[in-house]
Amino acid sequence: MEKAKVSAFQMFVLIVLFEMGSAILLGLGSQAKQDAWIAILFGLGGGVIVFFIYYRLYMYYPDLPLTSYLQKIVGKWPGRFIGFLYIVYFMYQASRILRDFGELLATTIYNNTPLFVINTLMIVTIIYAMHKGFEVLARVGEIFFGIIYLTAILGMLLIVFSGLIHLENLKPILENGLKPVIKTFLRETITFPYGEMIVFTMVLPFFNDKKKVKIVCLGGMILAGINITITTIVNIAVLGVGLFHRATFPLLSTVGRIQIADFIERLDVLFMLYLIIAGFFKIAIYFYAAVAGAADIFQIKNQRKLGFPIGLIVLFGSITIASNIAEFIQEGSMIVPFYLSWPFQIIIPFILLIIAFLRNRKKKTSPA
Amino acid sequence: MSILSKMLKNKQKKRQDDNYRQKQDPQKPEDSPILRDYQENISHLKEEVGNSSDVKVREFKIGAHKGALVYVDGLANMISVADYILETLMEAEVPDETIDIFQFMLDKTMALGSVETITNWNQVFDTVFSGDTVIFLQGYNKAISGETKGWEKRAVSEPSTQLSIRGPKDAFTETLRTNTALIRRRIKSPNLRVDAMKIGIVSQTDIAIMYIKGIANEKIVGEVKERLERINIDSIQGSGYIEQLIEDQSWTTFPTTYHSERPDVVTSHLLEGRVAIVVDGTPFTVTVPALFIQFFQAPDDYYSRFDISTGIRMLRILSFLIAVIGPSVYIAATTFHQEMIPTTMAIAIASQRENVPFPAFVEALIMEVTFEILREAGLRLPRAVGQAVSIVGALVIGQAAVQAGFVSPVMVIVVSITAIANFSTPVFAMAIAARLIRFVLMGLATMLGFYGIMLGLMFMTIHLCSLRSFGIPYMMPLAPFNIHNQQDAFVRFPFWAMKNRPMFISKGNMKRSGENQKPGPPKQTENPSQKGEEE
Repeated sequence: MEKAKVSAFQMFVLIVLFEMGSAILLGLGSQAKQDAWIAILFGLGGGVIVFFIYYRLYMYYPDLPLTSYLQKIVGKWPGRFIGFLYIVYFMYQASRILRDFGELLATTIYNNTPLFVINTLMIVTIIYAMHKGFEVLARVGEIFFGIIYLTAILGMLLIVFSGLIHLENLKPILENGLKPVIKTFLRETITFPYGEMIVFTMVLPFFNDKKKVKIVCLGGMILAGINITITTIVNIAVLGVGLFHRATFPLLSTVGRIQIADFIERLDVLFMLYLIIAGFFKIAIYFYAAVAGAADIFQIKNQRKLGFPIGLIVLFGSITIASNIAEFIQEGSMIVPFYLSWPFQIIIPFILLIIAFLRNRKKKTSPA
Repeated sequence: MSILSKMLKNKQKKRQDDNYRQKQDPQKPEDSPILRDYQENISHLKEEVGNSSDVKVREFKIGAHKGALVYVDGLANMISVADYILETLMEAEVPDETIDIFQFMLDKTMALGSVETITNWNQVFDTVFSGDTVIFLQGYNKAISGETKGWEKRAVSEPSTQLSIRGPKDAFTETLRTNTALIRRRIKSPNLRVDAMKIGIVSQTDIAIMYIKGIANEKIVGEVKERLERINIDSIQGSGYIEQLIEDQSWTTFPTTYHSERPDVVTSHLLEGRVAIVVDGTPFTVTVPALFIQFFQAPDDYYSRFDISTGIRMLRILSFLIAVIGPSVYIAATTFHQEMIPTTMAIAIASQRENVPFPAFVEALIMEVTFEILREAGLRLPRAVGQAVSIVGALVIGQAAVQAGFVSPVMVIVVSITAIANFSTPVFAMAIAARLIRFVLMGLATMLGFYGIMLGLMFMTIHLCSLRSFGIPYMMPLAPFNIHNQQDAFVRFPFWAMKNRPMFISKGNMKRSGENQKPGPPKQTENPSQKGEEE
């Protein structure tokens, strides 16, 4: 494992950037129509509960990443096997987000540039960051956190001053009752983005202040949740339910509508700025978790060596996981939540927590 | 046979390497003690220096004792040698022939500030070539060295590279002593330490490490000394040599050490806990550790009011950004993101570009390279011809190229703004980094538009965040973020609010100023007599 020390603020920033990441770009919870924002808030609540599972596990093993304490909880070889599955899961997620991100650029601005080129350059940048270590990633996060917030505030002001916000689009609230909201919550918002906090179990041991873990992680999740909620509300208010439901990238459509004084218009680039930064951090953290996990399980001392091979897998994965964007989105909404997110983010950690609890209770009652 | 000779050669080579490892000049004579016979000493000296014409020997007599003094013409001050050594020697009345004439001379005849006894030849050469005078006496296996340094040196003059409006007008010179004195004059504290060192196996360049004990971080001071001691090179011709040999990382375009020719800048760095390395023979003094933001702080920031200097500092950072991404944004906007440009402006640009035969990238490259050539030529040309270059440059770039239809007028504007923005970075080393990165970003913008620029900047940021200067993260007050150090980073707080020294750089003594330093009008309600009663 790499020796790195990350301060509370740096971890907070990374969590916010990671959680907001692609969740803001995609129409999160759009199945719930105009109540998407309620589903997102529900998701935040559920995510906080799920996070407490990870947090209890962290409390049992504060110096170990997920792949290491798996081996302590369920035994060496079963633990390694599950750890391996987690690595594959992290790599799959990294390639999914890379695809998301490349697809967005390729369909909106770079119509003539191959997806492969866009993804390659991104992954090269990420491999470089990974090569420099987690501390550097955290520092880069601090710089871009400021930039993202400034652009977000600027964008928000521009949207407000363009007179685009029509809050009546949000009504009627809970038109079809709570059922679609809860359905969206279970299918989507609990696992994406909040359940993705599972990645941070790989890097929590880097924390230099063990007491602040809970407050920092929860604070980061809640701030990100609020930001996503506000963005969703703005998206619905600007686009209306129909367009919000249909658009692949609602935020892009919203930003595209800004028009002030016939001079400030077509600010897609501002959006792209955000997109690249957010995409970078989301992929980089998944990627880092995969690399660190692989180094841990296969006991490779210098994990930097794994940057290129795993980077290549992620890159080719991002091209081959789906043959076109429709298939890609179908997979994302029908298969990933049930067969990947729920087991890896909630079910396995929960079982682990029960076993860890039993094991540690045994230790306490019979001190050996 | 050949194998044997090869082995011998290898051994010889190895021995030579060993010499270098021990930092000794292989050509320098073995150290040996001074002989008793002064004439033998003189002939030995002449043999060693090969009868160099600037090494002068003058024989003399004091009482019944014979002797000779040696100095280097041009390095020693002739007036000192004549008035304070020779004249006193000749006028001295030796009371008794039996006394210890060596001690008598040390005590009575050397009217100099610093006199020492030396016993071996290496010391003789060191002192003579530093401008001091060495005296051999018949019958003594030791010699007297008297300080007579005095060579032609440039007077303290105005700084030529770092100008300021309100700051002091003196700058460092090529003489180490003058430079340390300029700093010492500004910090009259016994805690200001000046540690001497010699670097360069052949050149034996004097170096002074300056820091304030109690403010500077001892660890950094130790690290600086260690890195300086590790230097094993034949000569040091300027502080640039030192900089490149003690950096944390070599593979970077960004400067991780700071250099200045202004004593006030170096002094304020010392007071922030940094370590200064003064090198003999160069007016540029190095200070470490250096942080990214430091290269955007100009001396005038501290001499003018805080609000103004904050604004100007922001302007400098903005202009650095323009210098880095200016032409690439133009390329990206015209080739990939035309929809971003407002329609009327897009039409104006398009009509100008209509007759230009090149794509935007080539156009930008031609202009940028031409400008860089002009700038370089302007630097190197003799001053008398410099004017001609600027006239030719202005005509070629400004008018002829546009009229000939090679480049569009917009491109000229972009290049000029970029160039001017580049000049507003206070430290040249950082401005150069921007120049280099600009070309990389231009290439990326050509291939991928804004996406390329963003990725390039991302790469640059990752690189910057991974840099360290003497163990201190290069982007320090920003990443890792430190709220206390924001007092003098992107904004400059007023002096009464700037209470702390930068963390990590200085250790221990963090307080910069006392409490309640905020100035204000006199309190009118308070009556002095009442105050007296209260007390």
